[in-house]
Amino acid sequence: MLARALTVLALIAALVLPAPATAQEPFPSRPITVVAPFPPGGVADLTARPVAAAMEKVLKSPVGVVNKTGAAGAVGMQSVAVAKPDGYTLLLALSSISIIPEADKLFGRPPAFTVDQFAPIALISADPTILVVPADKPWKTAKEFIEDARKRPGQISYSSSGIYGTLHMAMELLAQAADIKLRHVPHAGGGPAVTAVLGGHVDALASGPAVVLPHIKAGKLRVLGGWGDRRLAALPDVPTFKELGYPTAEFYIWAGLFAPRATPEPVLARLRAAVRDAVNDPDFKAAMDKQETPVTFKQGEEFQKFFEADARRLAEGVRKVGKIETK
Amino acid sequence: MLETLHNLAVGFSVALSPSVLLYAFVGCVIGTLVGVLPGVGPLAGISLLLPATFGMDATRAIVMLAGIYYGAMYGGSTTSILMRIPGEAASVMTCIDGYAMARKGRAGAALAIAAVGSYVAGTVSVVGLMLLAPPLAAFALRFGPPEYFALLVFGLLVLAYMSSGSMVKSLAMAALGLLLGMVGIDQMSGYFRFAYGVVELGDGLGVVPVAVGLFGLAEILATAGQRVPPTVIKPRLRELLPSRAEWREAAAPIGRGTVLGFVVGIIPGSAHVISSFVSYALEKKLSRRPETFGHGAVAGVAGPESANNSATSGAFVPMLALGVPSGPIPAVMLAAMMVHGMSPGPMLITQQPALFWGFIASMYVGNLVLLILNLPLVGLFVNLLRVPYPYLYPAILTFSILGVYAVNGSVVDVWIMLMMGALGYVLRKLGFETAPIVLGVVLAPMIELALRQSLAMSDGHYGIFFQRPIAATLLIVALTMSLLSLRTFIRRGLDWRARMALAEKGES
Repeated sequence: MLARALTVLALIAALVLPAPATAQEPFPSRPITVVAPFPPGGVADLTARPVAAAMEKVLKSPVGVVNKTGAAGAVGMQSVAVAKPDGYTLLLALSSISIIPEADKLFGRPPAFTVDQFAPIALISADPTILVVPADKPWKTAKEFIEDARKRPGQISYSSSGIYGTLHMAMELLAQAADIKLRHVPHAGGGPAVTAVLGGHVDALASGPAVVLPHIKAGKLRVLGGWGDRRLAALPDVPTFKELGYPTAEFYIWAGLFAPRATPEPVLARLRAAVRDAVNDPDFKAAMDKQETPVTFKQGEEFQKFFEADARRLAEGVRKVGKIETK
Repeated sequence: MLETLHNLAVGFSVALSPSVLLYAFVGCVIGTLVGVLPGVGPLAGISLLLPATFGMDATRAIVMLAGIYYGAMYGGSTTSILMRIPGEAASVMTCIDGYAMARKGRAGAALAIAAVGSYVAGTVSVVGLMLLAPPLAAFALRFGPPEYFALLVFGLLVLAYMSSGSMVKSLAMAALGLLLGMVGIDQMSGYFRFAYGVVELGDGLGVVPVAVGLFGLAEILATAGQRVPPTVIKPRLRELLPSRAEWREAAAPIGRGTVLGFVVGIIPGSAHVISSFVSYALEKKLSRRPETFGHGAVAGVAGPESANNSATSGAFVPMLALGVPSGPIPAVMLAAMMVHGMSPGPMLITQQPALFWGFIASMYVGNLVLLILNLPLVGLFVNLLRVPYPYLYPAILTFSILGVYAVNGSVVDVWIMLMMGALGYVLRKLGFETAPIVLGVVLAPMIELALRQSLAMSDGHYGIFFQRPIAATLLIVALTMSLLSLRTFIRRGLDWRARMALAEKGES
């Protein structure tokens, strides 16, 4: 009996789930889905949820977040790239959106997606990475670190969130700018990468500030420099690599909202206006403050320029890293 | 010590306040459901409910999420025992002997032992978490890739203990599992391996679809293919509880599983899965009657089920003491803490004593809640077996497909499950055991990553495994163990395993 009831329930669920598509109605007339291509609890997810909640208030229509994870974000990004361009499927992407197609090109495989498959809606946050080392390592400044790396090429190791991942590319941009060689030990995600540097299994890590600040305050990690174009408010004494004479070592872990490229202009305009209001929502601001992620809002021309410059830097970085020969 | 007791008293005052108690209860109930549903594991459960906690008070939110985590560990055993479908990855081992017990009409006993074992493990390991968190966390950090690799070598040794029949067949299956584990992005170079243009395969074959397919679907197909329909097991009330002999058999494995699970759980990585594997192997190694494993050995349920619960507490050690995620689930919980404006890190215990001690106390309460919740449910769950197969099995099939799809919203996962179901059916007909395949799929990516990370750290020198004390010790113990088993093999010519294989041959 129970089993039969359950079967019936499952059937009902299966029938109800696919919502019928209808044309020519005011936007939005049904729930919007924001795809976060990374697992819950990561930067993409923790940005997508407050944004979705705030947009829901502005649009007065449900906005949900779906974590479509896999292949370092490629699965979720690809799913939006080929989604119906009606404005009901959006993407909350991180910097890696510009890296993945380049890496695909490098390996000569058909790209999962390309950046021109997306129409930018807005940049929501852009946090520069910072260079941290275990507190018991000898380097007190970025200069000492770089000089030592120059003396011992390939001897200083660093962890990252994964090969060609954001944290890998940040460090590579520094290595290329300072003309040094470091030893890369990829990890399966940002969490394990932080654990590795805390345990002293690697010598350094480029990390988003929020996750390592508590360890810096507790004296376990030392911060040597930042990849931003200006110093971080939370770390006013830490110089940027730009100040230190490495202007190309610029990197942000940014989060932005995108739609499929062919989304009609009026719908995009409506979405852009909604996000503009959403980022001023006090609940949204409070949520981002708690994560110690400053909101960096850019739209239209400004976002486009930022996005293109960033994509250029990263593409160049990936090409210079090239294919990795492993032992 | 006195201070700890005082703190704990403060903690209980938090945990026993009606609202926190309510959320602990809600978390446990949801966790049990999540664990019972095939395919949906604790990670999916916590992830889905994380947004719902955004508006809550921080302590309540964390207490509820933790309840889901260990509740799922309790619930995960249910479908493994009753239907041979692992509710989540750490329950894979329970499918083997738990289901065998159920076939013998001891489903109630197996469920009760799993629940009590989980309770003991949960409670004892919280004591460990409470008293030892800071020093143990420092120890956990010393586990880098080489140490993790050495630990995983233990996991590989387990493969040899998996089978109850032919060693050659089981090693062949293990090799197949390791091969299947190679599918996906090469973490060190970024190459896609065996993905055939399917982006979803970049992450490899998920353990859950593979396990649900190989165990659950294969079982359903095999039953459907029988000429004489199997008789429905009608458990009597008297048989619901374990006999005294069964309790006696379960006691020591529960104790060992608890300690083992806690220690393994502390180590960063997907340790709760490993803990159940290692516990199974340990029990089989220590058992006086290893031949009963795979045919309904009580220890084969008690050990792994205690270990996976104990490992959940262990996993909280680095998370609470250092703010370091020891696996995907603690990572989500850390994120939840950040959302609530707490910066998890080394200062958490001193800065947020109410949260830390309230959390600890709520785990004591939560484990008790789960025991009270689960023991009466044993009767209900066992009665599911009364449902005639023509209704039960299609329903299970539907739930398996829905569950596996729901976790990642991926149809590819459903296909993997269905194909594994077909493969499992064929292998079963040919007399192969499928458990080693699942173990191979779990271990291959982990062991490969740890090995290659270690070599990246050492610039390609294998010496790194012997220069580091923990790694060296683990590897030497593993080597000794395999040599020892080789010795008996040579001396006696035929061990019990070979005898079993011969007996099987005689039968067929």
